[in-house]
Amino acid sequence: MKRSLSSLLGRTDGWGMPLVVLFIIAGLIELMRPGSFGLEQLALICASAMILVFVATGETIVVMRGGIDLSVGGTLSLASVISATRADLPGLDLLPWLALILGVGFLIGVANALIISLLKLQPFLVTLATWSIVEGIALIVQPSEGGTVPPVWFAWGYSRPFGIPISVLLLMLLMLWWAWFRRTRMANSIRAAGSNERSAYLNRVSLMGTNIAAYGISGVMAALAGFFYATQTGAGSPVVGAQYVLPAIAAVVIGGTSLAGGRGGLTGTITGAFILNLTGTVVFLLKLTSYWQIVAQGAILVLVVITGSIVEARSERSGADR
Amino acid sequence: MNLLEARDITKRFGGIVALDGMHFAAKAGEVHAILGENGAGKSTFIQILSGALVADRGKIMLRGKTVTAHGPGAARRAGIAPVFQELSLISDLTVGENIWFGDEALTPLRMISRRALNARTAALFAELGLDGIAPDRLVRSLSIGQQQLVEIAKGLACDPDILILDEATSALVPHEVDWLLDIARRRADAGKLVLYISHRMGEVRRVADRITVLRNGETVGTAETSAIGDDEIVAMMLGRRLNRLFPERHATATDRTALKASGLSVGHQLKGMDFTLREGEVLGVAGLQGHGQRELFMALAGAVRFGGSLEVWGRPVSIRSPRHALSQGIGVALLPEDRRHQGLLLAKPVRENVVLAALSRLTRFGLIDRQAEADVVSESVSRLQIKVGSPEQLAGTLSGGNQQKVVLAKLLATDARILLFFDPTRGVDVGTKAEIFAMMRDLAASGYAILFYSTDIAELVNVADRVMVLSYGRISATLPADQLSEDRILRATMIGQVAA
Amino acid sequence: MIPWLTNGLRSPSPILLAYLGALLIFVAVSLYSPGFAHPAHVSTLIVIAAFTGIVAIGQTMVIVGGGIDLSVPWLLNSAAVATTALTRSSDAALIWVVPMILVSSAGIGAINGLAIALLRVPPIVMTLSMNVMLMGLLFIVTRGFPPPPTPLALQWIANGRIATIGLPVMLFVWLALAAIALVVERRTAFGRYLYAVGSNRTVARLSGVPVAGTTIAAYAISGFTAGLAGVLLTGYAKQSYLGMGDPYLFTSIAAVAIGGASILGGSGSYLGTIAGALILTLLTGLLPIFRLDAGALKVIYGAVILFAVAIASPQLRRFFRRE
Repeated sequence: MKRSLSSLLGRTDGWGMPLVVLFIIAGLIELMRPGSFGLEQLALICASAMILVFVATGETIVVMRGGIDLSVGGTLSLASVISATRADLPGLDLLPWLALILGVGFLIGVANALIISLLKLQPFLVTLATWSIVEGIALIVQPSEGGTVPPVWFAWGYSRPFGIPISVLLLMLLMLWWAWFRRTRMANSIRAAGSNERSAYLNRVSLMGTNIAAYGISGVMAALAGFFYATQTGAGSPVVGAQYVLPAIAAVVIGGTSLAGGRGGLTGTITGAFILNLTGTVVFLLKLTSYWQIVAQGAILVLVVITGSIVEARSERSGADR
Repeated sequence: MNLLEARDITKRFGGIVALDGMHFAAKAGEVHAILGENGAGKSTFIQILSGALVADRGKIMLRGKTVTAHGPGAARRAGIAPVFQELSLISDLTVGENIWFGDEALTPLRMISRRALNARTAALFAELGLDGIAPDRLVRSLSIGQQQLVEIAKGLACDPDILILDEATSALVPHEVDWLLDIARRRADAGKLVLYISHRMGEVRRVADRITVLRNGETVGTAETSAIGDDEIVAMMLGRRLNRLFPERHATATDRTALKASGLSVGHQLKGMDFTLREGEVLGVAGLQGHGQRELFMALAGAVRFGGSLEVWGRPVSIRSPRHALSQGIGVALLPEDRRHQGLLLAKPVRENVVLAALSRLTRFGLIDRQAEADVVSESVSRLQIKVGSPEQLAGTLSGGNQQKVVLAKLLATDARILLFFDPTRGVDVGTKAEIFAMMRDLAASGYAILFYSTDIAELVNVADRVMVLSYGRISATLPADQLSEDRILRATMIGQVAA
Repeated sequence: MIPWLTNGLRSPSPILLAYLGALLIFVAVSLYSPGFAHPAHVSTLIVIAAFTGIVAIGQTMVIVGGGIDLSVPWLLNSAAVATTALTRSSDAALIWVVPMILVSSAGIGAINGLAIALLRVPPIVMTLSMNVMLMGLLFIVTRGFPPPPTPLALQWIANGRIATIGLPVMLFVWLALAAIALVVERRTAFGRYLYAVGSNRTVARLSGVPVAGTTIAAYAISGFTAGLAGVLLTGYAKQSYLGMGDPYLFTSIAAVAIGGASILGGSGSYLGTIAGALILTLLTGLLPIFRLDAGALKVIYGAVILFAVAIASPQLRRFFRRE
């Protein structure tokens, strides 16, 4: 049997194509400004991409489950604000405080999942509503950008354990986590439920359990993103999360995860997040105003999806081998 | 002692009774066939057995003990494994992941070991004598036949006490059918129970020790396969046929050609068909499931692209879309296979459904003429004797027969004079069946041309003027009125099978 | 008319509930703070509600047709900036500028619809991308310079009152558009097609409904109403600025959801959306009275949406019927 390049690229989680796009963009940057990808530069790129990577990680799991999570915008803001409220805490109390921040994210996710599953409501509307609620709470906690992050956290955000920048380390940890998670029964159950709820039920998958896991992970990841944002800027923002909702969905979609559920994975999403991030560098190098980055991101998103749907239509027409 | 016993099982869906106090018993060490017409309750029963549905009333007993737990997991623990016709595979997972779903071997880190999974799958396939399916392929990339084999392997993987095969051969080629029958036989000989649901009498005769027949949600009876003849089985399945189920048939076809197809083809499913349909004629289409009927009907209705040429009322046309098919110059209307998902807007009133395809005719100055709309609706309701409280009743709340009449009314509200009936009596009560047949003959007599496919050969024999038999995407025979018999049609479908 | 009323009371429709909700909020707040019901304040609220209401016309159509339009905020903003930039405060220029803007807005909506209907791009992705592209382009084009003030004629339409009866001009603009929307929705073939496409695309297609054309038209209408709201909003704000469309993404979808439409498509009516727009605006009116800040409003907004979709949930209704 002959395996063409396109079928190879279409295999696994569908991250072949975005990876090619990422390399093309990176290649362009390297051409325009040689030495753009030294270790120091990579660390900077990583640091600026990690917030999006975290949010998009949770979004990937939810989209694989066949849902969508808009509330990550609120959760990110709330986590960043909480992170910046207690600069006075002594070092030892910081871990429980971090656990609390992530716990809040988890609870928000569980609330989403329970409302969606028990009332059989549409994820889009439910998470739109909880986004508003959680962002509102963030605004109540801290009405505007500000606060102070505990010095230890701020230092941590720029630390280099084992000589590796913390953002790079976090990215590696995240990929390790994914390498583990994608092979667990829960990941397969989430895929199954996202692919076809009825078949999943017949295969003894708990539809509510997979929802709780997916939205719970999404909440924790969004909280982690908010925490990381706070350590990078030294302050919290009750509205910053809104900037990440749409890019997170874009990263997921560019990464080859289908909004219809069941397919996709984190490798593609991380690739997608870096594609979105590097467009900024391209725009900078072309000496365009930074707003071209937004336009480019939108255009890439549409082009990737249109290409994908054309390829899919063609492969459907040729039919599965019979 | 019976391994499996079901008592007084009742299940309703809305107003429709699918099972009405049915009972069933089967022993270990037998292949037990369950037979019945479409809508007799077979699939509802096996869904209850396998935990996909919960019965409203009645109890299931295994080895004499009442089963109290519900759900697919409970059924699995009780040793019941279903092989569904609709397939329960997850298309985005691999073959191996599907077969062992939830029972995968885990590494110390609680990860699913791919290598172990694939090795186990390969071993299972070798044991079963299956080859040609790689364990790491995505189910999505398999053909329907291969998916069916995987579904069967999955049912066998857990070595169940009770294996349920629900129309498991519908997408298999003959030697695969032999393979499956052999496996069923061997399991029974090893002391397990196999429940075998099929429409194909030949298979049932070959493999089943006993037969239970269902009709209208009730158990008609159980018999040893060797002790009962085909005629008796058919009589049990059909019951006392309504005296006038089928209308009297007068030849009403004229010489005028309504539809002429030459070299009509669709993908791999339909490989070049030539036929003509005349004004006033009911042309029957027969064939086993998946032999091109669906593609033929969808192509003529403009829903799929096709090759070859087509003439409608003597004019060459290319049908681009269903809208184009329904437009004034062409006038081809389809009564689709699945009325709940293709025929009706279930959450909309009968009125909106009836006029949906005819709105351009009912619009004046851009606005819908409400009086004209009401006239069309009330005329259809009385002409087709649709039983509705008011035209505002939601289509989804009607009985199967009345729903089908609403779909029919939608076709008749258009200008179309070529009608395509795809299995119009599926899930329809006997009384409405008779009405639909009478309506078809009336329509033919008043100048419509009708193409009529049915899974029930008796309907074709008694309603159609001619029948063409499809086999592997080609016409294997066209039988004129004086040669129509169930026997001949069945043989023609079989001949095609053997030839291919 | 009577059976309609009794049926409505026996099993209240989401639309009826939405109006009752709006009435309840209005009465309760008026009792608490009598100034709330003052005609001047009421007409201010109506004007604010009208902008959400106009944007939500298109959003209702798109959602009824089974889609969603997330490109509303920056399409609205683009139309607003174009209005002030092109007219340069001249009333006369409105005659050619406004039609041009409305046609372009509808055209951008149609591009959304084309990609969604013909290229099978998911609505969320397409309209989201359109939104950010418009945002980026608008920043690039304006370079942050504020365009000149809005022509006075537009300011009169958005802020003015009809002297003899004292009612705001915007009320009549909204009423006229609402009437058209309701006629389109109920009395035209397009309206029927829209519900059919949103209910079940397969059935619609097999019944000869022009599925692609209907979808494209719905998004074009949404582009048109967002553009129109943008033009009118420059009159209200007396200028245009970047970010003026941002609130309308949330409020337009929220108004549709509160009005009882299913986000899955096929059901709902602009009649309900009007009530949704009123409720959202009344809630905004609570802020000064209860000295609430923006955070509290967001919490209330979210809770109201959840409440509205939850009471429309068949699951919940079944649960209470069983009790």
